[in-house]
Amino acid sequence: MTAAVEGRMRLTIVGGFLGSGKTTWLRHQLHAGRFRNAVVVVNEAAGTPIDDALLAGASDLKVLAGGCACCEARDDLIALLRELADRRSRIGSDDAARLDEIVLETSGLADPGPIVAAIRNDPVLVYHVVLGEIIVLVDGLNALAQLRREPLGRRQVETADRLVVTKIDAAGEGDVRRLLATLHAINPGAAITGAVKGTETALPDFDGIAPEAVASGDDGPAAAIFPTRLAIDPAVDWTSFTVWLSALLHARGDDVLRVKGVVRTPAGRLLLQSVRKVVQSPEILPQAEDDPGREDNTIVVIGRGYRGDDLRRSLAYFAGRGGR
Amino acid sequence: MMCANCGYPSRPGHWTEAGAADAHDRIRARFRRAEVLNKVLPAYGLTAHDDGQVEGVQVGTLSGNHAIALDLAEVWAVAERLSGRPIDPLDPRFIGGDETS
Repeated sequence: MTAAVEGRMRLTIVGGFLGSGKTTWLRHQLHAGRFRNAVVVVNEAAGTPIDDALLAGASDLKVLAGGCACCEARDDLIALLRELADRRSRIGSDDAARLDEIVLETSGLADPGPIVAAIRNDPVLVYHVVLGEIIVLVDGLNALAQLRREPLGRRQVETADRLVVTKIDAAGEGDVRRLLATLHAINPGAAITGAVKGTETALPDFDGIAPEAVASGDDGPAAAIFPTRLAIDPAVDWTSFTVWLSALLHARGDDVLRVKGVVRTPAGRLLLQSVRKVVQSPEILPQAEDDPGREDNTIVVIGRGYRGDDLRRSLAYFAGRGGR
Repeated sequence: MMCANCGYPSRPGHWTEAGAADAHDRIRARFRRAEVLNKVLPAYGLTAHDDGQVEGVQVGTLSGNHAIALDLAEVWAVAERLSGRPIDPLDPRFIGGDETS
């Protein structure tokens, strides 16, 4: 059997709170040649678009103004992505003009979670769009204050694969260290980099710095979030793994914030990822030898309210052969 | 199940069904799914049954109530409705731990 090739468009989501520097960062990336062939979709909550004027470097730019893509403008986003998918389907897969990448810059008020859920649940887009990376920009000057007050700031940070801390030249080093420790406590699985006007900049060390208490989104302090690496034993078959993970997300979906990893199956290597309760339609990866740097049969679960070892034991129970 | 008109699946496959490469894998996976479910559901007074023909898996109570679930997300929703509580994979009965965790 030949493994199928991933044929869907890759979606990168660039999010972050109001004023965190999303457009500045994206403009710099475009200027540096990244996302060169992507369609850039800019969502602004306000009725009058501004950011699009700043993103002249994009090869193709679409604007969704007058509502946030995670709520009021969700239908507009879905319609736009469907239109892109439709246009792409008319072009041969070997044509260089075919669109393979979409970058969505969300509004500062958007929670990436519902956007991912809306795309995942759309019966057309599920065949055309695969989630690449969620990059969340974090304001080096103001994020600590925002995280204390705004549960939305925390939700944005929780969903990120990568956090980019901006304006670090303007913030005091002590504050940056405390912010980094806080971000790491909220989302220990995310890579953290620094940026000044879009250019990558080194970050100070934050070992031993205590994180700030931040808004949890509900009453009372939230339990600490931690990552658990789960090696999927060869004896664990894909079916028992999926029974287990679907049960975990159903029962504990508010606490299991993120699951990501590569699992070998009869259909090939699958990149599996969830954002809260929503699991993306798995992306088929190339054979391992063509894709170095990923560890197979390992998933990372990021969450709270359980012990890491409980996950291991529970999975082993589900996958064990024979009766109870 | 395919749509008779366009040949597309009638609904996007549930993510849990992505691991099967062909029809043999799919039928094996269905029986294995019922087997794994039956390691867990009886602790909540439920059983799962999949005849491999009718689409979906049947989840039932010991008293004879039952419902068909088309995919695993539905299985857990149906099981929660029938048993009155969510089926927790981290239940002490499945992790060999005590009740104090």
